Amino acid sequence: MRERDVPSDFTARVFARCGLDRYCVAPSAIGDVFVAWRADGVTAVRPAADADAFEIWYGERFGCRAVRAVEDDPISEAARAKLRGEDVDVPIDLSMCSPFERRVLEKAAEIGRGHARPYGWVARELGAPGAMRAVGNALGHNPVPLLIPCHRVIRGDYTPGGYVFGGEVKRDLLEDEGVDFAALERVAREGYRFVGEDGYFCLPTCGVIARNFGKPGVIGLHSVQEAHEHGLVPCETCRPVAA
Amino acid sequence: MAVACPAAVPDPDVLLACALARDLDRSFERLVIAYRSRIVTFVARMLHDDARAEDVAQDVFVRAYRALQTYTCERREALRLRAWLYQIARNLTYNAIRDAAPAAETLDYDDGNPRAALLDEGQGPESVVLHAEQWASVDDAVKRLSAAVRPAFVMRYLDDLSYDEIAESLDQPVGTVKASAHRGLLAVRAYLENADA
Repeated sequence: MRERDVPSDFTARVFARCGLDRYCVAPSAIGDVFVAWRADGVTAVRPAADADAFEIWYGERFGCRAVRAVEDDPISEAARAKLRGEDVDVPIDLSMCSPFERRVLEKAAEIGRGHARPYGWVARELGAPGAMRAVGNALGHNPVPLLIPCHRVIRGDYTPGGYVFGGEVKRDLLEDEGVDFAALERVAREGYRFVGEDGYFCLPTCGVIARNFGKPGVIGLHSVQEAHEHGLVPCETCRPVAA
Repeated sequence: MAVACPAAVPDPDVLLACALARDLDRSFERLVIAYRSRIVTFVARMLHDDARAEDVAQDVFVRAYRALQTYTCERREALRLRAWLYQIARNLTYNAIRDAAPAAETLDYDDGNPRAALLDEGQGPESVVLHAEQWASVDDAVKRLSAAVRPAFVMRYLDDLSYDEIAESLDQPVGTVKASAHRGLLAVRAYLENADA
């Protein structure tokens, strides 16, 4: 008999209505992780140490059961690709986060590979420059680390700071992505807040600029005023000063 | 409680019923995977509305899951899954048809129709339908079947259910579903013959 094609999200829609989520195990930069998802997107990423412990944690955090998936669907396939390092869009379901947490995580999601930003930068970008601790807490509650790269938000002194998988893992991840902590420490040691190059001034964590610090034409800057005196304008990527 | 399943059972539905009895949540996706295409197809053939059929087919599995939650392990294990799912699909499809506007025209076998009577001669009617290449025409014909014969015809000749399973799904005697399926077959065959003419 000739059967009709079933939409790729059919099973996910049925599961959503049954109050069940699914999860799979996927390789990532930090080893195998559990990836849980539902019809609207990925809900959780956790280290894949113990399935029973993950299911208990999941039930407590999300109020529903996650079961090991039999097959992948477009959402889990996108998550797998992203965790392999591919540049793909992954639907994320942040419905269990508070509005402020969502805004913090969406801002963190804008930070590209090879970049890092201080907690204070995220707070300032959200229009709440005094909310650094709240930003840190929101990032600490990130249900989908690696997919939303909360590891790219670091301390103002350019040290990694806390991370759901541990500070050393955070440092390793950032170094793998090209962040040069030795170069950042050099800039910090000399008391520079910005680095100027090619008519722009940036945060030292803007791509590889810290690595170039000290080379001809790449200068350290103590203040915005000093940058302006050199005729430099703010970088449009890292937005080093408030708009 | 622990469910003891037969050590070697060839029927995958029996194994699936055992798995559902052991752990409904962990096994439910296997049920959806095994039947989603057939149920969507069955409902679409009954409703003639693919978008709506997907919604109703989703309803079938959600209804099945909720029912299974209330069943004991023994009852889950004893389920004849295919007939049971088609029964749910039939019920929800009837509800959907009842809620929709009535069809303008339906097709049924008329015992007084000489063309249909003629078609009883020569090759068996099953071979005409089951070997037909023109599935679009079959779908058109099914679309025109009356509500009285359509489920039995679709389950028997398109979804390949046994008469026992159909009888269980439709909650009718086996003789009744045999008659309905046959009437549907003759009506479809007559439609195809007319379409070819």
